[in-house]
Amino acid sequence: MKNDLSKVRNIGISAHIDSGKTTLTERILFFTQRIHAIHEVRGKDGVGATMDSMDIERERGITIQSAATRCSWKDYAINIIDTPGHVDFTIEVERALRVLDGAVLILCSVGGVQSQSITVNRQMTRYKVPRIAFINKCDRTGANPERVVHQLRDKLGLNAVMVQMPIGLESDLEGMVDLVAMEAVYFDGDQGEELRREAIPAHLLDEAKAKREELLDAVSMFSDELMELVLEEGDIPEELIQDAIRKGTLSLELTPVMIGSAYKNKGIQLLLDAVTAYLPDPTDIENIALDLKEEEAENKVSNNPADPLVALAFKLEDGRYGQLTYIRTYQGEIKKGDTIVNSRTGKKAKVGRLVRMHADEMEEIEGAGSGDIVALFGIDCASGDTFCAPELNWSMSSMHIPAPVISLAIKPVDNKAQINMSKALNRFTKEDPTFKTYVDHETSETIISGMGELHLEVYIERMKREYKADVEVGAPQVAYRETITQQADFDYTHKKQTGGSGQFGRVAGILEPVEEGEYEFVDQIVGGAIPREFIGSCDKGFRKSLEKGTLIGAPITGVRVTINDGAYHAVDSSDVAFQLAAIGAFRQGYGKASAVIMEPIMKVAIEGPSEFQGAIMGSINQRRGVIIGTFEEGNYTVVEAEVPLAEMFGYSTTLRSLTQGKAEFTMEFSTYKQVPKGLADELVKAFNEQKKES
Amino acid sequence: MAYTELAQQNPLRVLNMSKGSQMGLVMARAGSGKTALLVQIALDAILRGKRVIHVSVGQGIDKTKAWYDDILQLILQDHSVDRPHELIDMVGRHRMIMTFLASSFSRARLEERLNDLVLQDIFRPNCLIVDGLDFASTDREALEDLKNLLEAMNLQAWFSATHHRQDPRVSPRGVPAPCHEVDDLFDTVILLDSQADASIELQIINNSGEAAVVGKELRLDPTTMMVKER
Repeated sequence: MKNDLSKVRNIGISAHIDSGKTTLTERILFFTQRIHAIHEVRGKDGVGATMDSMDIERERGITIQSAATRCSWKDYAINIIDTPGHVDFTIEVERALRVLDGAVLILCSVGGVQSQSITVNRQMTRYKVPRIAFINKCDRTGANPERVVHQLRDKLGLNAVMVQMPIGLESDLEGMVDLVAMEAVYFDGDQGEELRREAIPAHLLDEAKAKREELLDAVSMFSDELMELVLEEGDIPEELIQDAIRKGTLSLELTPVMIGSAYKNKGIQLLLDAVTAYLPDPTDIENIALDLKEEEAENKVSNNPADPLVALAFKLEDGRYGQLTYIRTYQGEIKKGDTIVNSRTGKKAKVGRLVRMHADEMEEIEGAGSGDIVALFGIDCASGDTFCAPELNWSMSSMHIPAPVISLAIKPVDNKAQINMSKALNRFTKEDPTFKTYVDHETSETIISGMGELHLEVYIERMKREYKADVEVGAPQVAYRETITQQADFDYTHKKQTGGSGQFGRVAGILEPVEEGEYEFVDQIVGGAIPREFIGSCDKGFRKSLEKGTLIGAPITGVRVTINDGAYHAVDSSDVAFQLAAIGAFRQGYGKASAVIMEPIMKVAIEGPSEFQGAIMGSINQRRGVIIGTFEEGNYTVVEAEVPLAEMFGYSTTLRSLTQGKAEFTMEFSTYKQVPKGLADELVKAFNEQKKES
Repeated sequence: MAYTELAQQNPLRVLNMSKGSQMGLVMARAGSGKTALLVQIALDAILRGKRVIHVSVGQGIDKTKAWYDDILQLILQDHSVDRPHELIDMVGRHRMIMTFLASSFSRARLEERLNDLVLQDIFRPNCLIVDGLDFASTDREALEDLKNLLEAMNLQAWFSATHHRQDPRVSPRGVPAPCHEVDDLFDTVILLDSQADASIELQIINNSGEAAVVGKELRLDPTTMMVKER
């Protein structure tokens, strides 16, 4: 157990898909001596890179789940969270960012800042994650790190400054100039494992001096001492520059830029040095927990191992050894045999096996100190749960979880598949809060919903592979909603007098649209027109009404219900009677409130060669999209647009054929907007026909 | 309040650029509200039912869009509009942002892009805003070329240009460098002039020989950058 927190780094590696994130992680693990052979992501040896532990990831060459792994560099312990690159899995990225103290943002020296980098950078800003940038693939044809630095400034608004300069580029990449030490660094040996430091080659000296000047200009803002030395043109100690860079990075006001080629084993050791020198240790970062005993009062976690334990379960995995729960500790220690409490459920659990993970391999440990990332066996919980020592009841602040926008029906092919499917769904919903599942009572179909087509596809694949659950998949459905656009009143009496005790309740009031929020209930009853005990029944009835709208049976949102009058009967009024009265009242008001259908709108970014811009814009236009803007740089172009999700099914195929496979796109949920009249009529018609059939 | 009323109440009405392919120019020193004014001119056109392409040289899509969002919010704060979301949507549909890195912008490229939009019937602009063009490195020929393109496409256009305090050159009409030799190409030139009280005065110079005084004096409110009548 390493208790010196200043020697611990919890970092993430985030990037656009295909920027070489997995390769870089693999190289880091190699150089930190944990694995002995380097496997390529799409390697011919069929072994695959170490961090991608799932088959699908190996096949597609992308990383879906974030596995945490631990390595040592010099006398530092580094926990690496491998984060997924595709935007459909954004919740995983966000959850990983939550437990990180710092991050490495990888960029491709050819592709530069791409749409995914923008999304990831925005998320890092939201969670205040200090970062360093690594411009990878400097050995590729067309590599241009300078251009990428400009993009970091222009597109991401980062104060990016190079701390290295390449020696040669593309296939001539030999090494780099370390602008802090003012030395040339080369990487010898079969796998670049031997570092050779030399004087800067004469032909690069002037450029290096100019670049160092730029670096000093930028970082001297963060150190008065350095500023003075720069002004006096005196000798500047390396440590002073490093301290200033670290200070700037921690304050999120500076982003040091490293360069290299993970594939060619160039620059990895220097990147590791930078991770330990510039990224924060757990005590540099302020984390807040909410005290559930004190009405969620905010508390700063202490990072002190002597304090009671507070830990966050950020990742669940169902592996061959049973359920594995990845946790990050924020204060206190966790040891085998300790009793811990899940602050969401209040359930106690005993810590059994405790391990430190290296992707698929694991190391048994006795305990872990604060600020560490470890995994527990046999603990039942959902991801995002907080574990505390019994004397505390704190919760790490809740995470922002977007609502699902797409759903599809799945049907198991046989009985065995049925059992396995429910096991799988149970697991997935625990692992991923954006993945939801339920049974539609009208059709008896199992519905799964999530953040995008690919998101659901991956889970269906996993069901087949990991759980042997073969399912038939229905067409994807957009998560429509209904809402009202104008105020309407209601006055409804529910009366039933056929045998037995009767039912009576009258509810009156108004429905009105609210722009934010899903449902508000306002009680303005005076003089006991509706007795107190039945107010809750009314609320319940209205909530029930919201589950299914009358237009297309979609959930209703954005409604404020105010009740201001009513009547009751001393004998016949009951909870049920008022619930039914409220349902009737809602239906009455809803019919008059100009209800409309809303659909999810996605923010789509498409990038590719400029020659295809016209075709791309045409394809957006055909899909009811609104083009927000275009960005052009050289022969590279980005089109940003807002497009209804319903129109985006199969877009990747269309885009590929339109652009000879040279363009790609990302999308994320933006907002809900009203469906145009003509289309809304069609939806209503289809819904009514379906209702008739059943 | 209806959108047409919003447009009529706009103090920018005095600019009177209602004819087809006219060219306007906004000049100021750096940071004196050129983009803010251009965006207000664009919004005025949109409220009158026109479609606007905002060409931004050197600024990203997000930054440019933020200008529109901010100024639209200020308009909504000052005037009560029945369904603000519909107005925001309407502005989104009537505006398209085109951003270029400085080195990527040229007349040929612009023409290609405009043709892409018009021929596929994606977006038919009436007004072009060109913000960030470097006039110091744009010669007369290039501008005439642009003017011809605008005339051919029947487009109105507004440009912005930065002038520097150190550069004393000025045209006989009073248009400062770097536009002093091309000022005749523009039908209207607005100079933004910082005053002692921190407000910014709009000095309007017409080409048509009409009186430069337009009845009311206009200025930019220094806190919001909104055009106000004095």
